[in-house]
Amino acid sequence: MGDAMRGAHFRLSPAQKQRMLVAQERCRDAAGSVHSSAFVNVGDTIPVDYENGYLRGHGTQVVDGQLLATVCGVVERVNKLVSVRPLRARYNPETGDVVVGRVTEVAPKRWKVDVNSRQDAQLMLSAVNLPGGIQRRRTATDELNMRDLFTENDLISAEVQTLHQDGSLHLHTRSLKYGKLESGQLVKVAPYLIKRLKQHFHQLKQYGVQMILGCNGYVWISALPQSTPDIATDQKRANTESLEAAAGTADSQNVEISRELRERICRLANVVRVLGACGFLIHPDSIVDTYEASLSWGTELKHMFSGEFFVKVVEREAEQRSKKG
Amino acid sequence: MVVGLGLSSAEKSYIAGGIAVDLRGDGRGRHHFRDFSIDTSIIPQANGSARLRLGGTDVIASVKAELCAPPPGRPHHGKLEINVECSPTAAPEFEGRGGEELSMDLSRALQRSFLGGASGAGAAIDLASLVVLEGKLCWMLYFDGLVLSSDGNLLDALSIAMKAALSNCGLPKVEITSGTNPEDDADFELNEEEFTPVDTSRFPVIVTLTKVGKHYIVDATAEEESQMTAAVSVAVNKKGSICGLTKRGGTGLDPSVLLDMISVAKRVSQTLITSIDAEISAAESRHDDQ
Repeated sequence: MGDAMRGAHFRLSPAQKQRMLVAQERCRDAAGSVHSSAFVNVGDTIPVDYENGYLRGHGTQVVDGQLLATVCGVVERVNKLVSVRPLRARYNPETGDVVVGRVTEVAPKRWKVDVNSRQDAQLMLSAVNLPGGIQRRRTATDELNMRDLFTENDLISAEVQTLHQDGSLHLHTRSLKYGKLESGQLVKVAPYLIKRLKQHFHQLKQYGVQMILGCNGYVWISALPQSTPDIATDQKRANTESLEAAAGTADSQNVEISRELRERICRLANVVRVLGACGFLIHPDSIVDTYEASLSWGTELKHMFSGEFFVKVVEREAEQRSKKG
Repeated sequence: MVVGLGLSSAEKSYIAGGIAVDLRGDGRGRHHFRDFSIDTSIIPQANGSARLRLGGTDVIASVKAELCAPPPGRPHHGKLEINVECSPTAAPEFEGRGGEELSMDLSRALQRSFLGGASGAGAAIDLASLVVLEGKLCWMLYFDGLVLSSDGNLLDALSIAMKAALSNCGLPKVEITSGTNPEDDADFELNEEEFTPVDTSRFPVIVTLTKVGKHYIVDATAEEESQMTAAVSVAVNKKGSICGLTKRGGTGLDPSVLLDMISVAKRVSQTLITSIDAEISAAESRHDDQ
């Protein structure tokens, strides 16, 4: 619900529509953009070298000796293997991905987490660190108190640990930076818009905001987390009996957020929504760039879903792409 | 109204906190409506139809006119019927019979606001204007709403879509050939080339105020609706008169809060009706151009 993917609808006046078409044309013509023949529709023939042979990959089918696309997407070729990668697809996990997910179920020794993939991911109790980075001690009470850590509907950040043959995936939160998410809002975009980078946690110190760009298309924008707890208290906490004590103190719940901070979080969230609706890559630079642009245009927060702002963002992108070319 | 929307406790308090400082998750204030767009004449078989997109909410309304006998005992009246369906494509919980309860709720709320009393007094359309031949022939208007996608505030969206569909509606001209005597059955011919528009000036729009925490908001999204304690839907017409009132949700409301809500609904509705009218005429002119 409230998907930016689906929820994006902009009212454009005839004049704005015209500007939009021009800007889209410029984006397409700009050097470096993918050639339009790389995109195929269902049933389109994919040009291949029939003499040397080819390997039929995902999203393709041979009909009457011709290779046809069975999904809408981008043609990808690796040596002789020809496949079509659908754009509007669920998240395709890879080991090491940073994801943002929502706990759907607390099961014996594990949590089930929705990460916008084909199946819910599993987060084993043995794959979590307690808040504050304390090693968990295996005790029977831990298993009973799993809800003190993450409960149903909680949002968490995690990393993909392993993928399995049957399509299931395991997550882990064995690092200080992963764990429960608080004091912010979630924005959903299409997963293909988020490229895998070295960094997916971005601290925008100038705004006092933290962004987590989950590879699964879930973007978390929140207030900067409080300064990391100092070692001394950690040690002390480690010595006390594990889970309940740790969870109890770390469960800070939303700290008081000032209206200014809320405005910055909201503006960033709206920028991500608009970029997602435009189909532009969600990248920290593009987000900050569009954020600053929206400020310089004097766009009010409540007008960020107007046709005017939408067209301006596309025109700006067109401008930048044609400059590069 | 929408079920099965899980939010973490942190998100819930973030939403409530935002509403408290008059800044909602998408940047709107408490009394701001989302931008919407209207398309008209989207169903060729219907007499009038419109599609309304309000953020992530997407609904279609159509008006189908049929000639029939006036209701018994009221020879000077036409008839209205309202029905809403929730498409299973809108949300997984609408699959099978899941959408039925919500459809019923929405239909009932719309009926209460648009149909007036049992005598037909206070209906959204002047029922007398639907009479073709007194006591024998009148128009029956079927209003059908279809929910394609839901991101909150379905009731308001449907009321706007129905208003647009009605202003898009044309009734074919009826030529009575015989049967003007009180005893005979009416005989008529339909002139499918000349259409008369229906008067929509009385048709109200519904503004729903959703109470979240201590405050109430206009045009709630699905996320915000999941946090509501109570909601009041007020049907207001162009003159600013209240035509219908529905309250949903578990908790009661203080009378003074209710009065505040009504006055906010009235204020919001007046700007809303202006922008609806502008959108409808823009949609109609787009259609004429093509």
